[in-house]
Amino acid sequence: MAAVFRALFGYCFLVLMVRVVGRRPGKQMAPFDFVLIFFIGGLTLTAMVADDRSLTNAIVQIVTIATGHFILTLLRRKSKKFALFLDGTPLVLLSKSKWYSETLGNMNFSTDDVMAAIRGKGLVNPEGASWAVLERSGSINVIEADDSK
Amino acid sequence: MYTIIHAIIGYFFLLLVVRVMVRRPGGQLTPFEFVIVFLIGGVIILATVGDDHSVTNCTCAIIAVGLVHRVVAIARGKSRTFSRWIDGIPMVLLRNGEWQLEAMEGLRVDPDDVMAAARQKGIRSLDEIKYAVVEKNGSISIIRNSD
Amino acid sequence: MSSPARTRPVEDTIPKIENELAIGEDLEFQRRWWRFEHVVWICFTIILALDIAGVFGRGPLSKAHAKTSDGAIHMTYERFARFQTPSLISLHLSPAAVRNGHIQLWVSQSIIKPLGNQRIIPQPATSELAQDGVLYTWPSGVRPDSVDFAIEPSTAGVEHFTVRLPELGDQLTERVIVYP
Repeated sequence: MAAVFRALFGYCFLVLMVRVVGRRPGKQMAPFDFVLIFFIGGLTLTAMVADDRSLTNAIVQIVTIATGHFILTLLRRKSKKFALFLDGTPLVLLSKSKWYSETLGNMNFSTDDVMAAIRGKGLVNPEGASWAVLERSGSINVIEADDSK
Repeated sequence: MYTIIHAIIGYFFLLLVVRVMVRRPGGQLTPFEFVIVFLIGGVIILATVGDDHSVTNCTCAIIAVGLVHRVVAIARGKSRTFSRWIDGIPMVLLRNGEWQLEAMEGLRVDPDDVMAAARQKGIRSLDEIKYAVVEKNGSISIIRNSD
Repeated sequence: MSSPARTRPVEDTIPKIENELAIGEDLEFQRRWWRFEHVVWICFTIILALDIAGVFGRGPLSKAHAKTSDGAIHMTYERFARFQTPSLISLHLSPAAVRNGHIQLWVSQSIIKPLGNQRIIPQPATSELAQDGVLYTWPSGVRPDSVDFAIEPSTAGVEHFTVRLPELGDQLTERVIVYP
């Protein structure tokens, strides 16, 4: 019985930690983010398993986590508010030559990070982009300035 | 309390190992390097937790790691110098038809890598490129001549 | 023959900003989220500070002492312990504890099961069940300065335990909080 509670607590706490710790800007997860998640995950599993290395315990906890994850995904699909809480919202970083410093500051981004994404689009300076958006996934999408407009 | 100290030292040690292994500070790891990092990470976890497998202890260790990561993230945002050390800086590889040899040799990038990145953009040959920059995360950005 | 695919016309459902970019940004939510994160980090810092102080066990605040009025038993133990984690209850017995050339000590049942006693250092010569506890005897010639109980709590929660010198009538009852 305690095993189920430990597994549930471990899963929920892990979800919270990943959400709150955040990640570095970039299309894919930088290797250090992987490492950090692994570190935190490994510590979580040590707490969950404690000293019970039996197969029973392992199966019970794996099933608990899988169920928890299933419920989470279900809730995320059903409730917009919950999805917002879990994934966040897209955020504007740059628009029409204006940097959104409140967003940049709170996310601990520098304009350099956005410039890297702008260069990735083949543009040379911020004026060439009409929008730069930080997606929920963490990647920065740049939309070029449309000269024909 | 030793758990927390261990956790923090473990975090910085892992940061160092990953930093040393990749060519670019923010670059990608090959699968083999991942395995090594996982191994080291696993050992560090065992050392951090010690004989105490209680939820209390592990949760505190996790919080400690999360807190350090957060502090590093804030420091990276606030201080340019700190950010350079941890993440590196973008470097120009090709500029107006001239290869920047120091950058290319230092980062061990060769013209083929640059051309591969250029082909992704639909560019057919090197002379169409005005600037080629290798970003902090190791990807190569191409800026065309026509722009 | 398969039935036709279900479709729905594309509607302009995603909120736009500046009438141009369909982004659906919820900045109000994000501001609240940033405040929430701020609070979470403060809580985490407090939790860590409490942990270092020993409120969750294994720190300066978790060490406790107890003494009988005549000083026959001086006990050090951890008032905050952790589930399945080694802890030590250490009893220092004054020479007055020796009666008839041997030392007898009675401990309550709670030390054995819930607090999970693993070892007694030094090993007593005899142990017998008595009155909802165990009575240990160390023979003459063995005069330990301290008797240690190495415990590993097997349940989380609040546990009370008692130690008594039956021949002197001294006893100590203390409480341990076991964190999961």
